[in-house]
Amino acid sequence: MPATLLKLHNVRMRYPGGDGLEHVNLEMAPGDFVYLVGPTGAGKSTVLKMIYMQEFPTEGYVLVENYNSMYIKNKEIPFLRRKLGIIFQDFKLFEDRDVFENVAFSLRVIGERRRDIKKKALRALAEVGLSHKSRKMIHELSGGEQQRVSIARAIVNEPILLLADEPTGNLDLKTAVEIMNILEKLHARGTAVLMATHNYEIVNTTPRRLISIKNGRTLN
Amino acid sequence: MINSLLFIFKEALTGLIRARFAGFVASITVAISLILIGIFLIITVNLGRFANNLRSRVELEVFLDDSLDEIKIQEIADKIRRLDGVQDVIFISKEMAVYEYKNLFKDKQEEYFDALGYNPLPASFRVRLAERYRSSVGAEKVFKALTSVSEINEEDIVFRREFLIMLEKYMKVAIAADFVVGIILCLSALLLVSNNIRLIILTKQKIIEAMKLVGATRFFIRMPLYIQGMIEGLIGGALAALFLYALIKLAAFEIPGYIAVDWRMYLLLVNLGLLLGLAGSFTAIRRYL
Repeated sequence: MPATLLKLHNVRMRYPGGDGLEHVNLEMAPGDFVYLVGPTGAGKSTVLKMIYMQEFPTEGYVLVENYNSMYIKNKEIPFLRRKLGIIFQDFKLFEDRDVFENVAFSLRVIGERRRDIKKKALRALAEVGLSHKSRKMIHELSGGEQQRVSIARAIVNEPILLLADEPTGNLDLKTAVEIMNILEKLHARGTAVLMATHNYEIVNTTPRRLISIKNGRTLN
Repeated sequence: MINSLLFIFKEALTGLIRARFAGFVASITVAISLILIGIFLIITVNLGRFANNLRSRVELEVFLDDSLDEIKIQEIADKIRRLDGVQDVIFISKEMAVYEYKNLFKDKQEEYFDALGYNPLPASFRVRLAERYRSSVGAEKVFKALTSVSEINEEDIVFRREFLIMLEKYMKVAIAADFVVGIILCLSALLLVSNNIRLIILTKQKIIEAMKLVGATRFFIRMPLYIQGMIEGLIGGALAALFLYALIKLAAFEIPGYIAVDWRMYLLLVNLGLLLGLAGSFTAIRRYL
């Protein structure tokens, strides 16, 4: 495994509106836990999008393991994303499928064998403490439980890096702390975590390396 | 690989079931378009067959001078037979001409010929055209060739030139109309299938986004949509074929020897439905995904 898991080098990103990111630099090694903090609209989500290569910098580059934003081909992007786990504030779960199917989905789309799907999905659900609700529909779950399903979906592929975009944004403090505990547990197991948040209260409960974005620039 | 394919099929089927109403409407539209195309096809094929039948009966008549003797007539017949575009030559003697004339105008004729006291009808050759020459241009070529036979005068050759030209003109119009109507119908069916797939894409937006995020390939995301489009088209094609088959059988539309419906038309309709479905999903996916 390379010493650098993730690197954003002098990244510049212009939005059509005029604002954007300038000189964004960020580096992570395997197993790191980093907070990306900044006020709403500072560009935290854009940084994450550049990491999973939904957006591309206008200058500079993003390097995820061996994938470089300057050279990556469109058809390689799915394979980069299979190495990442992504969690969102609004969970992005499938309302029409049960908990198990939501988690298994990540494995089905990459053509995993049926036997392995069951094993891995159940293990991921156990990891987030939802084994007993695997056959519940999404709308039957609380917000915290839904976020745990989305974490299970993100980690079922054993990602090298977990990207969390305001994962506690929709949750009360107690539930948010539960989610943080799960992320901590995953991190302790060796998964690198990059979490974007504007909630300093959460950051203070589990202090880690902090990178803040202000006026479109990163400050370590 | 097999697991992936199974998953793709399952996704396609659940997608079809979820958007069943819109899908049903799309299939019905494809069916209606294909039924109309089928009806036009039947009409055109049978018109074509009818026109060919008429053309095959087109012959050039060469009237002969009364002064020619049997040997000379035989010679001329041989010369005509050797011409390009001539299938065969039938000799109609003066007596046969009278017989045919009488058959044609059933009564009063006895008196007419009796009053005349002699047979005024000339002997003739009926020149039947080879298949490739059964058109106005072909007939004209044979006509020219016939004039090259020294014993034949141009004014003694008769054929239904205007009839052939008119027949060809009508056939051209019919085929052009068919083509235009067919294209319009296909386009409308295509548009509806495409619109249905667009709706499916819109309702599946969240799923598609999540598929992309967990690393699904383009093939994996698009394939279920292609399959859905093809199934919708296939159902439309099958419905059209069934409907036309039932209609034709119930209405006893086929008249042996006159109006026939080729079984290959049903196959064509089903395939056309499949193709329309595929093309519809292709255009929607290109624009909206």
